[in-house]
Amino acid sequence: MVENARSINIVASLVLLIGIAYIVGPLYLTLTTASHSYAFMLQNGLVWSFGGDLFVNMKRIFNETSIPLQMLNSLIVAAGTAAALCILSFLSAYAIVYFRVRWAGAVFALILATVILPLDMRFVTTYQVASNVFSPLNAALDATGLNDLLATVFGAPVHMEWSILNTRLGLIAPLLAHGMGTFLFRQFFLTLPKDVFKAARMDGAGPIRFLADILLPLSRTSFASLFVLTFLSGWTQYLWPLVASSTAETQTAVVGLARLVPDEGAVPDYPLIMAGAILVSIVPLAMIALLQRYLVQGLVLSEK
Amino acid sequence: MNAIDPAIHIAAANIRLDGVTKSYGKLTVIPKLDVEFKAGDFTVVLGPSGCGKSTLMQMIAGLERVSSGKIVIGEREVQDLEPKERGCAMVFQNYALYPHMTVFDNIAYSLKIAGMPKIDRHARVEVVAKMLGLTEYLGRKPSQLSGGQRQRVAIGRAIVREPAVLLFDEPLSNLDAQLRHDTRIELAELHRRIGATTVFVTHDQVEAMTLADRILILNKGEIEQYDTPKAIYHKPASVFVAKFIGSPAMNILPVRGDGNTLRLSDGQVVAKCPLMGEFQLGIRPEDVVVDPKGAASGLRAHLRYCEDLGSHSILAAELSGTTVRIATPFGGEAPDRNVLVFSFPLRRLHLFDAVTGKAIAGAFGPVTKEQQ
Repeated sequence: MVENARSINIVASLVLLIGIAYIVGPLYLTLTTASHSYAFMLQNGLVWSFGGDLFVNMKRIFNETSIPLQMLNSLIVAAGTAAALCILSFLSAYAIVYFRVRWAGAVFALILATVILPLDMRFVTTYQVASNVFSPLNAALDATGLNDLLATVFGAPVHMEWSILNTRLGLIAPLLAHGMGTFLFRQFFLTLPKDVFKAARMDGAGPIRFLADILLPLSRTSFASLFVLTFLSGWTQYLWPLVASSTAETQTAVVGLARLVPDEGAVPDYPLIMAGAILVSIVPLAMIALLQRYLVQGLVLSEK
Repeated sequence: MNAIDPAIHIAAANIRLDGVTKSYGKLTVIPKLDVEFKAGDFTVVLGPSGCGKSTLMQMIAGLERVSSGKIVIGEREVQDLEPKERGCAMVFQNYALYPHMTVFDNIAYSLKIAGMPKIDRHARVEVVAKMLGLTEYLGRKPSQLSGGQRQRVAIGRAIVREPAVLLFDEPLSNLDAQLRHDTRIELAELHRRIGATTVFVTHDQVEAMTLADRILILNKGEIEQYDTPKAIYHKPASVFVAKFIGSPAMNILPVRGDGNTLRLSDGQVVAKCPLMGEFQLGIRPEDVVVDPKGAASGLRAHLRYCEDLGSHSILAAELSGTTVRIATPFGGEAPDRNVLVFSFPLRRLHLFDAVTGKAIAGAFGPVTKEQQ
């Protein structure tokens, strides 16, 4: 604290109160809206008091929409992204920090470039690749003239196709190309004393043993925090799942929620949508509640 | 050979380095090193920072590869072997304990990797823990231990494998003064009990003088002197060694010999000597004899200041442009505050070549017993 004056305290509290109202207000309105029937809402609009239809609306979500299935999709996508990203980041950081890799600096810079060039910026190309994973290979064969050669020898050029659109893999894979986790682990490894690695070597531990016995247990908190952060961002991803999946069965819950709004004409069934929003929020909320400790520890990057 | 503790059986092995060199790209750290550490010896490698002493140790351990040359431990050439195959164990400066493991697991880790059965592992760790007074701490994590205890865990981790060679990389520099003193005594005791060939890297001359059977003094990757502590103190092979060992350091004065006497640049005669040419004359502060009465003969110098350390005082005098430090037992009460009269006993003088800095033996007559 710079100052401890009373007036500053009052002003600070006021600012905080306004901030809280700004965030909690819409949440509260979500709850109240979800507790009224569609008919009530059509007559009275959005109101600030509670009604008695919350569980009716919830039941309708289960019976009338694909949200439950889509929540399962979201769970698989978020957990899959988080787990795969943790493993990838851990291994790449291990290679960069503990081995003399040629061009390690350049490799790390390229990995970090994914932070500066996020998915939203590479959208069109990512979509092209997702619609045919082999398209870069095909393009390369065409450009190098290899395909012409193959066409004259075998009668037809090589053209391979594998679309991962509308699959869970297609939802997960592009989200994995993100260097933040590698950066997190690298910074953590650099805080560990260098001699621990040497001591393990003296004790006879090879690279795999060191990874499993020493590094992995020490990185528990980093793992947990990266997992939580990636899970949350995976769960709330909107743009990519919206584009990469076009059927209700393969869409994620957040996209499914948006799809509950009819395309034109009728007033949206806000109570139903709000009830869905509450359901969809429960999973990440539970995640934060359970792993909050690691979230903070991971961000300060310290291991006692 | 010393009496060996029956609980830990160490078959000490000698270490021989044959033409070992090390360079990182264009930077040569160790030009060419030939040295042998005898089996069971406690050797201290001493030198200023950046002299290559840690590199030397890591090459013996196998953590750094040699650029060329051979390292032989016992009868085996080991320069191409993995650390675990060399029979070395190492204690690191910052202990490098595994923070998530208990003291027991830290000590037992190497045995576990080697595939020793659990029962044997337990027995062995308990013996080591008892030896180091760690029995009641076996269940604790390193973060719950004091610096001295962590140090002992690190030592335990090293000796539990019964290595033929024990390597210490400045292991005492993280401890406070009192603990460093105690640990030094414990280390000497430990070495006496287990008798492993020990190489101990430090830049602290007190550790070197008190612990070593032999001291290897390195300067820019080359050996300045490799001898017993006594010989290094009393017969330094070069100006570098003379200045490096002893506190305060040896006084070094430029002198000129005219075939009969050695003279300072201001003309005062310091000693009789038949040599001619430019030299560097060395004398330890405690060897200078001060004449309290201020007699007419002897060297005269202006007294600049006096540090009273209780047990003795250090006088600093200005002698022909060089500050000469004199350790005197009689405190700050010098007879004359301005002019100090003293002499250099002939037997206590060291003469070095002015250019190479190497010692010139027998410059003041035959070497006597007392000098050795």
